[in-house]
Amino acid sequence: MAAETVLELQQLTKHYGRTKAVQDLTLSVPRGSVYGLLGPNGSGKTTTLGIALGVLHATGGTASWFGQLPSASTRRRIGALLETPNFFPYLSARQNLQIAADIKQAGEADIQAALQTVGLANRQHEPVRGFSLGMKQRLALASALLGQPEVLVLDEPTNGLDPQGIADVRALILRLAAEGKTIILASHLLDEVQKVCTHVGVMHQGQLRAAGPVGSILAATDRVHLRLGAGAAPEALAQALAALPFVHDVQTLPTGACSLTLANGYSAADLNRALFANGLVLAHLSTERPSLEAEFMQIIQNS
Amino acid sequence: MLRTELRKLLPYRTAWVILLLFSALLAATVAGAGGVTVNGQTLGAALYALPGMWAKLAYIAGYFSLLPAFLLIMVITDEFQYRTFRQQLIDGTSREQLLLDKLMVALLLTLWGMLSVLIAGVFFGLTRNPDATLANVFGGAAEPLLLYGLQLLGYLSIAALLALLIRKSTPAIVALLLYVWVAERLVRYFLPDAVDRFLPIKAMDMLTPSPFAQTLDTMLGPSGALAPTQAAVVALGYVGLCWLLGAFLLRTRDL
Repeated sequence: MAAETVLELQQLTKHYGRTKAVQDLTLSVPRGSVYGLLGPNGSGKTTTLGIALGVLHATGGTASWFGQLPSASTRRRIGALLETPNFFPYLSARQNLQIAADIKQAGEADIQAALQTVGLANRQHEPVRGFSLGMKQRLALASALLGQPEVLVLDEPTNGLDPQGIADVRALILRLAAEGKTIILASHLLDEVQKVCTHVGVMHQGQLRAAGPVGSILAATDRVHLRLGAGAAPEALAQALAALPFVHDVQTLPTGACSLTLANGYSAADLNRALFANGLVLAHLSTERPSLEAEFMQIIQNS
Repeated sequence: MLRTELRKLLPYRTAWVILLLFSALLAATVAGAGGVTVNGQTLGAALYALPGMWAKLAYIAGYFSLLPAFLLIMVITDEFQYRTFRQQLIDGTSREQLLLDKLMVALLLTLWGMLSVLIAGVFFGLTRNPDATLANVFGGAAEPLLLYGLQLLGYLSIAALLALLIRKSTPAIVALLLYVWVAERLVRYFLPDAVDRFLPIKAMDMLTPSPFAQTLDTMLGPSGALAPTQAAVVALGYVGLCWLLGAFLLRTRDL
């Protein structure tokens, strides 16, 4: 059975004058996933989320949450931190959260719990104007957590955080995901996304270049490394590989070893069988899964 | 969502400074005007005489209506500057509710203005009229107070519209001043009286006519001004129009 979709974007487009910030973007976020929206700065991630959250008007296309058009009531089921933390600087952390809690119909206990979660309980009565960017970011996370949202939308949530803060946010995301919450995480920090996300969408120049479960995105470009047994002719291997339609991007090293990628649906075992049928016996065969960073760079370069 | 707006407003020091300045200026002007001597006669007795005192108080208060209007501009443009309108929308409020919240703030400021006039009226009515009782001080207060309230709400509505349009406090305040002091006066210069009395500021100012208006009419002939009740209808129309345009701006623009 297909997983329930929490957010569905259909041919979303946003133009600012002649600038096409988002173009024909279609994606869906399954319930319970940690969906990483990846892309370099200016790729359209924040604009996409801004439209999804109703603060920006789309030039074309639609966004729907829980199968409904965005509305105040659907937004109350979502906790979101978009771009920068937005607070009244002259109010204390708690007073700012009380404003969000009024809207989300959350209680005082909820505010206290959120402040505890982000480690700001002991600074809650201080005005936000005295907070560092990292503290504001934590407060924005606390605000997003109010009202027990089903979905969290976090746009660059680790901006301004120190390494401990980044680790805390990562742990928080994993904990919330384990509780069954859907999390949409926009980031240009690939390591961050690879560590926490189950799904990923790669954006570049306002377009979605690749999307799917992290495993499938990476598996699509698994590199296979192989070396022939002693006495075999490297030319025979090159000829055999060239004749196999499911083999791509063959790179031959001076040592005679090769690395290559396989078409979707083919495994290293399929390659071994095909070469063996051609009378070639391999001394070494291994598969290497590239990092998300390498894959991301590849997608961006190809686009 | 009055509670939410009060959460923002009550700790806002600038709001208290402006509101207290408004009340203090009103009280000081009313007290000071009573001591002004014209042709050897002190105005006091005429100014504080009941029930005409209320209309004069409302007229004097009208000079300070721009102060609450500046405050409303700051309250609205702060929401754009701090991007809190955007955050509240994300948190689950609607664009219409954002506007209604600010209308509520405008009504609160109107109430403050009316309350200031009321308190000043009761104080000066009782202290400057030795025989006055609370009952005859209040007699005749309702209409001038309501008309002043509507005038203030009118100024606040124009201020709100400019704040929603311009989104930055200083340019919006400058735009309000330019409109009130320059633009509308220039337009009036080119329009006949029969038409220019329907312009927003002129119509709103007619809600609290000058205490000398009748004398001037006697000396110079009828000015063609709208009666306060007619001006009230026009002002209400402008109030509605400003908030409708504000709703249109909030609904159609990105936050």
